[in-house]
Amino acid sequence: MIKREFKVNFKSFLIWLSILIIIFLIVYLLYPYIITDDTVRNIDEMMKIFPTEVLKAFNMDIASIETAYGWVKTEGVMFILLITGFYSSILGGNILLKEENDKTIEYLDSLPIKRNKILTNKIIVGITYILLFTIIFGLFNYICLNLSGDFSQKQFMLLSITPILVGIPFFAFNLFISTFMHKTKKTIGISLGMVFIFYIISVISELSTNIEFIKYFSLYTLAGTRDIIANTTMNSLNIFISIGISIIFIALSYIRYNKKELL
Amino acid sequence: MNDVIVRLKHLKKYYGSARGIKDVSLNIHKGEIYGFIGPNGSGKSTTIRTIMGLINKTDGDIYINGVKLDGESIEIKKIIGYLPSEINLYDDMTVKQALDYHELFYNKDLKKRRNELVKLLKIDENKRIEDLSLGNLKKVGIVLALMHEPEILILDEPTSGLDPIMQSIFHEILIKEKEKGTTILYSSHVLSEVSSICDTIGFIKDGVVIKEDSIDNIKKDNYTYLKITTKEIDKVKKELNLKIIKESNNEIVLLNTMNINELIDKLSKINIDRLLIEEIPLEDLFMNYYK
Repeated sequence: MIKREFKVNFKSFLIWLSILIIIFLIVYLLYPYIITDDTVRNIDEMMKIFPTEVLKAFNMDIASIETAYGWVKTEGVMFILLITGFYSSILGGNILLKEENDKTIEYLDSLPIKRNKILTNKIIVGITYILLFTIIFGLFNYICLNLSGDFSQKQFMLLSITPILVGIPFFAFNLFISTFMHKTKKTIGISLGMVFIFYIISVISELSTNIEFIKYFSLYTLAGTRDIIANTTMNSLNIFISIGISIIFIALSYIRYNKKELL
Repeated sequence: MNDVIVRLKHLKKYYGSARGIKDVSLNIHKGEIYGFIGPNGSGKSTTIRTIMGLINKTDGDIYINGVKLDGESIEIKKIIGYLPSEINLYDDMTVKQALDYHELFYNKDLKKRRNELVKLLKIDENKRIEDLSLGNLKKVGIVLALMHEPEILILDEPTSGLDPIMQSIFHEILIKEKEKGTTILYSSHVLSEVSSICDTIGFIKDGVVIKEDSIDNIKKDNYTYLKITTKEIDKVKKELNLKIIKESNNEIVLLNTMNINELIDKLSKINIDRLLIEEIPLEDLFMNYYK
């Protein structure tokens, strides 16, 4: 069964991974032509116009976009986290619910297999794909950055791990939400909306110290990219919270799925 | 009786205040074919899905092999073969892949029985599930329900989409299953479809099992049509007090549910020109339950 799960979910994995790779490939290929002495001067001028809070929201106060790696630390990491968020959320929302949406659950649930086993298989496949997504994209990024110039390898490694800290909780949260639904159409909207809302919360929280507390309402805070870029360290608390949130929502999904009416 | 394999006791299922099933009690004995008859929306599929654990019962008890079902049971699922009314399989698979996939869930070799059924039902294993017609999909569903040689077969409207020849082959398969000792719950809204192979019939109406009896007893019921020609139509109505099927000037057709002696006694009080007593067809009897 698990083999089939990998096969069924491979296509969306490939599509989302390709989207991210294509975006980055375009940037890496064009960057040497975009970033010249003149454009760097223009960017510097432009940066002076922006308030510090706005620059902070995009890590531009602690990183420069003069190099490809600089772009990764600012806008690049934003793309990585957003797209991993989308992929993980949609995967979590669909992986289990697809059986109900396609009405194959009536067949699957009549087989001698426990619902817990069905769920466990789907969770293993989902998490494996999120890890593979991060690893494969990290490798791609590593090769491209190696070709484009010097960069901090430790910092890059830490930044490359951050999508996992966000992706798995997104997956677990949406998996839990999906146990209340019967159609995937509804969960896709919820998944995408949630990623946007959490991302906007994390950006807004950087705009003023007065509203900084709202960052605790966003899963994107778990990425902790500012710490990594500024200090080349990862806040271990974020790792524990990410694991904790994932465990809680996965446990709730088991409880809920065992009681769920499947038709 | 101790050979009851499937027993439902006052099973209820409500969706909020909406009725799924109100009171379903039935007993299916080992090795019998039980016809579960009712019109569309009467609660047949809800009952079956509750037995299968796909939906949760609101109240009542389900016993399989004497064991009260309370939550999931892999052991019970292993001995059940289930054919839903609308079969939905994985579209991306071929028939062969679907049958291979099914085999993975049972720790025994299913090849022999699988091949027999595929041959009997004339199934092309190389076709993709998404390309199958409704009838061919149903045939694959039949193989899936039967290939692990279950002790209990639960079939929900199994012949919908099958042509008459295939229906006949399917019924022959079921009779052979019965001979092997398999217990079969056969749901249908067409009585004539099941009356030839069933041992017992349970009629369900508006979520309630209104009658459960052996097919022989049902046929033995003294239900007859009385066609009476008389000038005393009003007296006939008053004396007999039976359900009127048809009425014209001097002729009335009634559904007789009285025993024959009582009937003769009452008829003797009426001046009758002509009397015709006909056996009621099973289909009409079925319709009578639902009027």
